[in-house]
Amino acid sequence: MIPKKKKAVFFTVFFLGCLWTGVGFGASKRAAYLKVGLFAEPKTLNIWLASDRWSFSVLSKIYQGLVTRDPETLELIPWLAETLPVYDPQTLSYTVTLRDAEWSDGSPVTAEDVAFTGNLIKEFKIPRHYWRWNFVKAIQVKDAKTVRFVLEKPMAIFLSRTLTTPIVSKKEWEAVAQRARKAGKPLTALMNHKIKNPIGNGPFVLKTWKQGAYLLLTKNPHFFGKGLKIAGHVLGPHVDGVLFKFYGTSDAAILALKKGDIDMYWWSVQAGYLGDLKKNPKITLFRNERSAMYYMGFNLRKPPFNDVALRQAVATLIDKDFIITRILQGDGERMDSVVPKGNKFYYCRPDTLWGAGLSREQRVKAAYKRLVEAGYSWKVPPVDESGKGVRAKEIRLPGGAPMGPFTILTPPADYDPLRAMSGTIIQEWLRAFGMPASAKPMAFGSLLDQVKVRRDFDAFILAYGKLSLDPDWIRAFFHSKNDKVRGRNMSGYHNPEFDRIADLSAATMDKKARRKLICDMQKILMKDLPYIPLYTPKMIEAVRNDRFSGWVNTLEGIGNIWSFCLVKPIRP
Amino acid sequence: MELWRYLWRRFIQIGITFFVILTILFVLFRIAPGDPVTRMIGPEMTTEDAVRLISQLGLDRPLWIQYLYYVRNFFTGNFGYSFHYGQPVIEIIWDRLPNTVLLFTSSVILSAVVGVFLGKIAAWRKGKRSDTLMTLGALVTHTVFLPWMALILIWIFAYRFGWFPINGMISEEIWLDPSAGLWIKALDVFHHMVLPLLTLFLIYFGSYLLIMRSAMLETLKEDYILTARAKGLKEKVIRNHHAAPNAALPVVTSVGLSLAFSINGGALTETVFSWPGIGRELVFSVSNNDYPLAQAAFLLISAVVLVSNLVVDLLYAYLDPRIRY
Repeated sequence: MIPKKKKAVFFTVFFLGCLWTGVGFGASKRAAYLKVGLFAEPKTLNIWLASDRWSFSVLSKIYQGLVTRDPETLELIPWLAETLPVYDPQTLSYTVTLRDAEWSDGSPVTAEDVAFTGNLIKEFKIPRHYWRWNFVKAIQVKDAKTVRFVLEKPMAIFLSRTLTTPIVSKKEWEAVAQRARKAGKPLTALMNHKIKNPIGNGPFVLKTWKQGAYLLLTKNPHFFGKGLKIAGHVLGPHVDGVLFKFYGTSDAAILALKKGDIDMYWWSVQAGYLGDLKKNPKITLFRNERSAMYYMGFNLRKPPFNDVALRQAVATLIDKDFIITRILQGDGERMDSVVPKGNKFYYCRPDTLWGAGLSREQRVKAAYKRLVEAGYSWKVPPVDESGKGVRAKEIRLPGGAPMGPFTILTPPADYDPLRAMSGTIIQEWLRAFGMPASAKPMAFGSLLDQVKVRRDFDAFILAYGKLSLDPDWIRAFFHSKNDKVRGRNMSGYHNPEFDRIADLSAATMDKKARRKLICDMQKILMKDLPYIPLYTPKMIEAVRNDRFSGWVNTLEGIGNIWSFCLVKPIRP
Repeated sequence: MELWRYLWRRFIQIGITFFVILTILFVLFRIAPGDPVTRMIGPEMTTEDAVRLISQLGLDRPLWIQYLYYVRNFFTGNFGYSFHYGQPVIEIIWDRLPNTVLLFTSSVILSAVVGVFLGKIAAWRKGKRSDTLMTLGALVTHTVFLPWMALILIWIFAYRFGWFPINGMISEEIWLDPSAGLWIKALDVFHHMVLPLLTLFLIYFGSYLLIMRSAMLETLKEDYILTARAKGLKEKVIRNHHAAPNAALPVVTSVGLSLAFSINGGALTETVFSWPGIGRELVFSVSNNDYPLAQAAFLLISAVVLVSNLVVDLLYAYLDPRIRY
């Protein structure tokens, strides 16, 4: 038997030892890596499988494309390419010359690699990438640094979408592709290939990934941009590496940031944390515009929202400024078109702003006027005989039948409190107008299933984050040919004139002429309102200012390739 | 002989139950709302992309054929590949399982040991201030919302005092340091374990305390306790050697099942502390309709629970001579 006193001493020493070990290491051995907190862990480093933003956060430092965007002007600029390629309308082709660049294993990045990447995507029809390569008829290697792309037809998205595709090493992937071809399901085999040590061409390479704990990228000594001046910036990277740490909750990540465990939290900080963070002198907050659309969509395939007058009335009743002020606490921008205002080149102010600048009573009157004109009636109208706004009861459709109850599907509050609350408040505005609306929060996966697969819904509130600056997605989201199960036209919008302009815009290679067409598309959509764009939230990111500086602000925030190439340690 | 017959019968029951669970899991995931592909594809991808992906994942086949493949794969030990990780499901589970077992088994054992000990004392001192305090404390900690408790502990001990890490299971400073030995790494894991373990302990020890107290109070009314007292045995001997072992029987069942269920991890605990265990993967796989991963994880839990039930039953018979199979 061990005496009690000895037991107590042993346990006390053991416990204190543990404390000392942890605290001591944490304090004394701070590596000179930029520590970035992610909300969740990346799922894979296989670029052909990755579908979560956490995987892309890491992969975007390892693999690079031929062109990228200037952080200030947002114009396309050459990246792995030496110059921006010029379109040859006679041969429907682009010729790209590569910079002197090397893979992380020291071998040169060649035109063969570029052609291999494109052909791999086309051969395996890789889901996330195929749609932006399927119009490329041939990829011809002219010499080690020159590659020519021949298109089947003119496609305006070639530069902005096709050439931004990350290029992979032929040396690394050729054998994988070979094995995949022999498998029963080649695409699955390719996507399930486990990447242990990716050969990249970006500023960082994978050093180690301790799953569940951290992922470390270290400086790529072969990065083509090192010391080059691109878009007015002399590129690094100037840090030894980037260490990603994973937090399951924002609460823990914010505490880690305040404590100094991480230097940056790569996730938009919610309003509730801002007050506390603003008071902390060691933390800097960055506010940037986003290329995102938060919107209310309708099912145009069935009543009541197959009536444009009703959609226009709903748009008039929704007070976007109120949502931004009260729910987003001012950190957002109202949307008057489907293109976010941050996309300065393609955003066009529509002819009608549906209720902008009106008081609640004025909104009610305007919506009432519109619906009366369209033949709607009420048991108790929202505007009384004296012209005063009152709480309405039982709206009736033009045929005289009462409007049936309808549901506004939203993601649940734990997934996105802003959208859930927006749904509730819109429900109240519509109810006060006599419409039997109910906001229904629903698990995100189920919501998508309901809207995209089952197509059994009335209205929904969803969002598109990180919309491409080339708004070809407008065509994708509203073209009638995409109104099918799992199609991108979720509302079931059909407008032959819109389809015609959309098709024309896709094939218009002249930027200014294309802008005009895209403006026309925006104006049609804002009149027909298959979606009511609500707001674009600001991207608010928090970093510590005592270890690193040099963050680059651009659309979508500071978590961009420029920041990671330019951030420098602060010398004590 | 009787025992062997009993065991044989139980194994058959377990086999049938497991097969039913296997089938129910398949059906449940297929009828549950949500679509595995919708979450995997971007908004700009075409319907054809989605259809291709569905075909590659084998989800375009009739359900009964999918079911036959599922059963065949199960019996050949092939649980498939995770839709999102692109890794064999079995690899993911084996990678996460030890982390969950380490944290939750430790917490169940610690909670049970302390809960039984304090429950014994509380019952012995029934009606006194110490009993009231312990019972009240157990009720309070047992009913507190776990994430709230976890965040409070993190805020106090990790953020304010800086004694423990905020989350995770290891420190990169130590694990990236080639000079750090096994002992240091083990201590590092223990250091990270303290707060989640404390949270789970505070939440769960109360239930064991209350079960033990209640069972002990019943036991103390038994004739053999009166006999022991009449024989002039010391109070401590009566409490620890006569009353407590008999009162501990219900706790054995509870601990046995808790140990079994502990392999599903606590999704909330693992999320708040970023503990890389099965619980987080379960939540992820279910919410993203990652059928192979979710099915395999639930099957593992079912298997462990079924076997644990058998073990608890056998243990009960061993501890209580009145029970014979």
